[in-house]
Formats: sequence, C-alpha cells, structure tokens
Amino acid sequence: MPIPPSDLLQGTLDVLILKSLALQELHGMGISRRISQMTHGAFDVKAGSLFPALHRMEQAGWLKSEWGESETNRRAKFYSLTKAGRKQLQTETERWERISLAMAATLGTN
Amino acid sequence: MISRLRGFWNNVFRRNQLDRDLDEELRAYAELVSAEKMRAGMSPEEAYRDTRREMGGDEQIRQSVRDIRAGALLDRLVQDIRYGMRTLWRSPGFCLVAVTTLALGIGANSAMFSLLDQIVLRLLPVKEPERLAMITERGNFYGDSYGPNTVSWPMFEDLRDNNRVFSGMFCRFPTAVTLGHGNHAAQVTAELVSGSYFEILGIDMALGRPILPQDDSVPDSQPVVVLSYSFWQTYFNSDRTIVGRAIAVNSHNMTVIGVAQPGFDGVEFGHPAKVFVPIMMKTEMTPRSDGLKDRRRRLQWVTAYGRLKPGVTMEQAQLSLQPLLHSILEMEVREPGFREFTAADRENFLRNRIQLLPGSENGLREYMRRPLWLLVALTGAVLLLACANLASLLLARATAREHEFAVRLAIGASRARIVRQLLVECLLLSGAGALLGLALAFIADRVLEKMYLSADTATQFSVSPIPDARMLLFALCAMFLTSFAFGLLPAIRGSRTEIAPAIAERSVSGAAGSLALRRTLVGTQLALSLLLLVGAGLLVRTLRNLENQGPGFPTDHLLTFEINPSLNGYTDEQTKDFFERLAVDLQTMPGVSSVGLSTMPILNGYAWQNAVEEKGFQGQPKQDQPVLNMIGPDYFAALGIPLLAGRAFTTRDVGPAAEYAVVNQAFVREYLPGGNPLGKRFRLVNSEDPSQMPDIEVIGLIPDMKYRDLRETPPAQAYFPYYQDTKFRFMNFYLRTQADPRLLMDPLRERMRQFDPNVPVVGLHTLEEQIGYSLRTERLVASLSAVFGGLATLLAAIGLYGVMAYSVTRRTREIGIRMALGATRANVVGIVMREAAVMVAAGLGAGVPLALALAELIRSQLFGLDPRDPLTVLGAALVLTAAGGFAGFLPAFRASSVNPTAALRQE
Repeated sequence: MPIPPSDLLQGTLDVLILKSLALQELHGMGISRRISQMTHGAFDVKAGSLFPALHRMEQAGWLKSEWGESETNRRAKFYSLTKAGRKQLQTETERWERISLAMAATLGTN
Repeated sequence: MISRLRGFWNNVFRRNQLDRDLDEELRAYAELVSAEKMRAGMSPEEAYRDTRREMGGDEQIRQSVRDIRAGALLDRLVQDIRYGMRTLWRSPGFCLVAVTTLALGIGANSAMFSLLDQIVLRLLPVKEPERLAMITERGNFYGDSYGPNTVSWPMFEDLRDNNRVFSGMFCRFPTAVTLGHGNHAAQVTAELVSGSYFEILGIDMALGRPILPQDDSVPDSQPVVVLSYSFWQTYFNSDRTIVGRAIAVNSHNMTVIGVAQPGFDGVEFGHPAKVFVPIMMKTEMTPRSDGLKDRRRRLQWVTAYGRLKPGVTMEQAQLSLQPLLHSILEMEVREPGFREFTAADRENFLRNRIQLLPGSENGLREYMRRPLWLLVALTGAVLLLACANLASLLLARATAREHEFAVRLAIGASRARIVRQLLVECLLLSGAGALLGLALAFIADRVLEKMYLSADTATQFSVSPIPDARMLLFALCAMFLTSFAFGLLPAIRGSRTEIAPAIAERSVSGAAGSLALRRTLVGTQLALSLLLLVGAGLLVRTLRNLENQGPGFPTDHLLTFEINPSLNGYTDEQTKDFFERLAVDLQTMPGVSSVGLSTMPILNGYAWQNAVEEKGFQGQPKQDQPVLNMIGPDYFAALGIPLLAGRAFTTRDVGPAAEYAVVNQAFVREYLPGGNPLGKRFRLVNSEDPSQMPDIEVIGLIPDMKYRDLRETPPAQAYFPYYQDTKFRFMNFYLRTQADPRLLMDPLRERMRQFDPNVPVVGLHTLEEQIGYSLRTERLVASLSAVFGGLATLLAAIGLYGVMAYSVTRRTREIGIRMALGATRANVVGIVMREAAVMVAAGLGAGVPLALALAELIRSQLFGLDPRDPLTVLGAALVLTAAGGFAGFLPAFRASSVNPTAALRQE
C-alpha cells in the first residue's frame, strides 16, 4: 500500500535516494522506480518532490550528475553518489537503524 | 565547498543554461514515464495525459528547484529590484522629490566629510604614520620660542641620544628661501631637516638619493637639496637631469641630490615644503639668525619627531621620557641664565613636562578641527531632517499601498518579503541620491575651496574635490544608513497590513496610526531645525561682530607686502640701505600717501613677545609678555594711528645711546602704572645674558589696537625703531594709498622689479583682503551654517505642509459637515491652524531647551555674544513659527474652500 507523500518523514526521501544510487547511476525516473521497487511499492516518489530533492542534494555535494543515454536511447540526466554522498548514506543508515529499533521496541512489534 | 561555490557561480551567471537543462531533464522524465505507460498498454494520448496529471505543473517543479539553488536569494533580490524600479517609475514626482532631497543631504555630508577628512582626519602619507610622535615640552620655558610645539636644538640632541622608546628621532624647521632660477627669483617654503628625516619617515625617492645621517655632521658642509615631487614637476618641468645640477638657494650654490616620492610635501599639512635642506645649512638658509651653532638652550625652534619602537605605546613613551626631561632641566637650571631667578621660578621650571602628540598633528589641524566637526554635525542634522521628510512621505505611500500589500500577502508573500521589498525601494532611491550627491559634493568642494581656501602664499591647502576611496565609502555608508533611517519604519508598518479589511475597502485604522507617527516626526524636525537656526544665528552674528569691530585703525586704502633681501645674500648694511632707499622710492610713487615699515606683520596670527620690567623694578618678571615690534618712522602715520602724547620716531633717533619706545595704553596700564608714562624707562628681560638689558625710554603713547587677530582684546604693545637694530632680515611694508589700493598692485610690482629684480615681493595684498582671509574660517562656518539652517527650516516646513495637507484631505468630509452646520471659513482655518500650531509649539518646546543646552558646545567659536543670547533664540523661534504658520496656512486655506455639498457626496 503506497504511503501518501505528505506522510514521508523528514529526511526519508534523502536516504531513499542515496540508497537507490548506492549500486548504480540512475536518471530521475530510474530513481523513482528503484525506490518503488526497494520499498515494495510503499513509496511512490512523484516528480514534484523528486527533482527539488535531487537538486538540493546535488547542491549539498552528495550527488553529481551528467548527461547520458537512457535505455530507450533518450538523452537523460544521470545521477550518481559522490564520496560525500556515500559517507552521508552510511551516517543516515546508522541513524535509521537506531530509529527503527527504537520505534519497534516502543510499539512492541515482537 | 568548491562544488558549492561552483553551484553558486552557475546559478548566478548561467541561469538560462540551468533553466534549459532543467526543462530537458523534466521532458526526459515525462517521456520515459509515458513510454513505460504505453508499454503497459495505454494509448499514446492516454499515457501523455496520465503522466501530466501525475507530475503536476511543470512550472511549480521548476520554481521549487530554483528556490533550492544557492543563488535563489540573489534571484529574489533581482526580482525585488526590478519590481521596485517598476513601482517607483510609476510615481516620478515622488521619486524626483525623494532623490533630490537625498542628493542634497548626502551631497552636503560627503562634501563636508571630504574637507574634514583631508584637513583633520587623514594621517601623513608616510610609513606607519600612527607610530610617529611629535615631542613637545609643556610648561614655562623661560626663553624665546619660534612657535608652539618647538624645542631647542640641544634639547633635541639630548632626547635623541638618551631615549629608550624611539627607534629613531628627527627634527625639522620650516622657513622661506629665495630660489634663483634663470633670471627670476621666487620665494618658496623649505624644510630644514635632520639627517634621519627621510629614513625615519620611510619616504622613498622618485629620483636620486635622500638627505642621509652623514649629511648631519658638520655645519655648513652639505650644500645639497631634495625637491618635493610636485615642485619638481611645476618648477623644473619634471627635468630628470636636474639631479646632480646646482641651483641657487639664497644665493648659495646647492646641488640637487634627489626628488622625493609623489604626494609627500613635508610633515606639516597646509604648509607644503617645496625643498628639503640639511639642517646643518641653517646659517645659509636663515641668514643672521642661528640657533644651531650657538646652541642656545633658551631658544625653541625645531619640531622634534620620533618613531615609536615596536610594542611601545604613546602613553608608555611619554611616561618614560619624563625622567629624561627632568634630568635635562636639572642641568639647564644650573646655567648662568637662571642665576637671577627666584626659587619659585626654578621650581616652576623644573615642573615642565613632556607631551607627545600624534605625528600628523599641526597648528592648522588644531585650528580647523572644531569648526569642521561643527559643520559635519550640522550637515548630519540636515540629512536627518531630510530622512524624516522621506519617512513621512513613505508612510503616506505605505497607507496608499495597503491594497497592494494586502493582495500580495493574500497570494502568499511573507511579511518579511514585503519589508524587504520596501527596503529595496528605499535603497534604490538613496542609491540614486548618493550618486547625484557625490556629483554635488564634487561641485560643492570646488566652490568651497575657491571661496574660502583660496591659495595663499602663507598657507596652501591642498584639498582635492575629487572623491577618493574614503569618500566613496562614506557615501555608501550614508546611503545605507539613510535607507534604513527613512525606510524601516514605513516598511514595518506597511507589512502589518490586515488583509481582509484592506482588500474589502480602504481602511482608515492604519492611516490614523501613521498620521500620529508623522506628526511626531514633524515635531522632531521642527525642534531640530530650531537648533540649527539658533546655531546659525550665533555664528552669523559672531562674524558680523568681528567684521564690525575692526582692529582699531582704518583698514581701507592699505596695501601690504613682505620682502627679505637677506635671502639674496645681502649684508646687514646692504639690507638696511635697501629698506631705506625703498621706503623713499615708494614714498614718491604716484597714489601713495605714506609708507610704513614693520618687521612683524600685523593681524597675521603671531607676534614677537618678550618679558619686560620697569627700571628699578625688584621682584619676579610678570608672566604676561607684551607684544613687541620694530617699525619705521612713518608706520603710525601710514596705519592711521594717532599719537595721544609725545612723538613718533624720527631718523635722528639713531645710535646705541638712544633707546626709545612708543607704547600703547594697555602697556602703560600693565607695566608703567601711575603718572605720565612719557620719559619713564623699562628693560627687556634677557634671561640668557642678564647684563644685556638696555634701558628704554618711552617717548610716545598710542591708543589700544588689535595686533594678532580680530578676536583678541588689544594686548600691551611696545614699538622700537627698526634701524636701532643691528641685524636686518625681512620687512613688512604698509602703503596708505589715495585711491583703491588694488589699482596700485600691478604698478607696485613693476616698480619693485625695476628697483631690484632679484628680491621677490611676497604676499602682496590689501589689508582688507588680509583681514578677510584671517576671518575665512568664521565666514565658512557662518555662511554654511546659515545655508544649513535655512535648508533645515525649509525641510521642516515641507514636512509640516505634507502632514497638514494629508490630514485636511482625510477630514474633508468632517469639514463639509461642519460647514453645512454653519461653521464659517474662518472657523475652518482656525481648526486646521490649531492643529499646525500644536506641532510648532511642541517643536519649539523641545527645541528651545535643547538649543540652550547645546549652544554651550560652540562657545569657543563665538565672539561678542553669549551662547544663550536671547535675541538669537527669539529670532530663531520667530523664523520657525513664521515658516510653520505659512506651511500650515496653505492647507487650512484649501480646507476653508471646501464645498460642503461636494464633500458630503464624497465616499
């Protein structure tokens, strides 16, 4: 069941994008599809939140981008992680692990 | 960090490229999504529509991406500026008034700042000028002095060789020398300097070498000269071969060894040195006066400077030098000159102390500091008044724009954004005002320089009207400060607009609040302009007093000039002969009625003073010293000073036995009280050699007159015949003319050229011109403060008018009702005038006590009246009331012409 975008926790989108780019470089739609696939359809990121996030993260130095060819031979902008981005992913992963452990313990899902 | 910077760079300068990239990226996304949907079985049209719906508006995405960029802030600023320019463009009248007001305000301030900066604030153009100290001795020196802040040559040597706080010391002595070049002679200002002068100041040479410590060893041994850069340019046409050549200085052949770096004119601002000569050449440069070789300790003549060692402060250095000075004084007090002194005098002498002054200090600075700061304060007040008017205008504008703000707030603008928008508009106005103001300042400085600081042979100001970095910075600061001063309040009020009522209909709640604020502003303005008017009144009446008083003798039809033939190498005998022959020659010149000679110039700011005592007088000499002068036989006749008793000198009063003096009444009161002064005798105190104190007999009495300047009360004066002296140097000539003295100037120059082409005539002008020049600062301050006072009153009146006009417009309906109910036109005028009168009264109520308190600050600038002069305060209050009445009457009259029917139908 998809989670409505407004319910996305602050910072969730960033960590999802970082994670989606951990293995390969992707274009905008690729990132959206990859997130959907990784979360089994729980998160469906729309263009309206995706692109501002991508540009913000590029500005922050976590992502870099270059123009390339898509699978349908369309010119598209591909994003990949920078060194700072990988480090940020690591930090965020650890943070999320702590949060989810704490949340699980609190809510008693054992 | 670097990627961030690159991002910022891209955002600011490659905006179009980035926008195109973003469009392309979004298109690619849309196509990829559509393609996916088509693969899932949708028709192309369906897929396209579906994608569009999912993505939402392209423009929204684009905007939110743009907002994220680092340069977004700048983006919005550019937007604000564009919007601000469009808004302002729509009200050109408002812009014109605002920009003109600001240009006047900022222009006046920049002009005054430029003068203050160049005359008072700026430091010498030398290496680390703030580490340079002038060393002065304070207290009673019991000797002769060439001017304030000087020390004796032996004192300089003692301090130089024994101090532990300076990395080096030098001294200098300013004097005039005659330069022979080709076949004409010119008198120029020279600085005699000790060998370490250039090294310690850190001055580079444009050409050749500086004067060095080795030039400082043996008197008369170094006939060398360094030229100032500007003098080298003008006098020698930038001739590079001048170095190594000899020029005639006071008829001595001196070799030019170098040209100093551009912009360096010696260490005394307002007295630029043209040539620098080793101080060891003192005898040659100042014939028949020598404090260097005879090493007198009771003659102060050099100004001493030191460069502080690293880590030493001025205060530490001053403290550390005090014991050193004391030991020198202990030694000096045992000299024969002090033998006849009382114990009290010796005690007093030993209490002398060292005072260190900033190295860039000089007499001119000290003299101009207060007047210039006063003028800067006045212009600042005018700018403040201008800001108040603009704030008032903007408040009215903000009220009128409530609807616009409400709409902007309603569609999502933040209140901060509206404040920013309004401030940007203010910055645009003050930016334009500052640009225009700088142009005005340039013109104003040129005019001021021409009118008040015109080049004079004695003091040459080198004030440039061209704005420099410091002035630009000042204008920039003025621009930002004024923007905030007049813009912030209206901006905050504007942003407080309530959306609903403002959109529904024009509300009056905000307007009423802003009107109260505007009334307060006007009251403040009136108070401030009263302050300026009182100041202006006091200063103008001071100038009038000084001009009316006069020196005590008729100054019209008098021509004066100075010559110094000794600088041409003339011997004493030749010089004396020169003066006598010239006096006879000029006496026969057509248009000249009498010729007076005087070794000291009068009304020129300085005087020769010496202690005197009555013959047979026992006890200590009086502290106050009379003013002395040596004159020619016809001096009193030429100046139009009557003899009250006795006689003037004649050429027969010659010879060592004949020591005669003419004294004034103040001298008699002070030193020869009781009985007929004629025939009484007094002595000139000579502390160096008490045996050389000739008896002088009083043979004539003259009335009191001013001597140094117009401000002083006539000092005690004694006159001696100049030809009794044995040393002859310079002489001031005073010519009483039959017609306009200016007509005689050119013939006189020609006659002097024929008489002796080698002796230059210096400072030829009428005495009226000289007096006018001596009052130049008073005139500058008085006329500028009058202008600023008038400007302030005008601004306050405009402010009052604006508020009253606005208030009347708002009350049109009320006035209509009153008139319909039977109020007469006079009643209506009365109602409105009462409102204006309240503001004027409040302004006066606050202004008068403030003016009375602050006038005390300019007490030292005033002459012949009290700072709390009631006439001036009353006059200022009347002027302001009249201006306020006029500004209030116009709207009142308009209100009384309201047609009740039309007024009631309104709204």
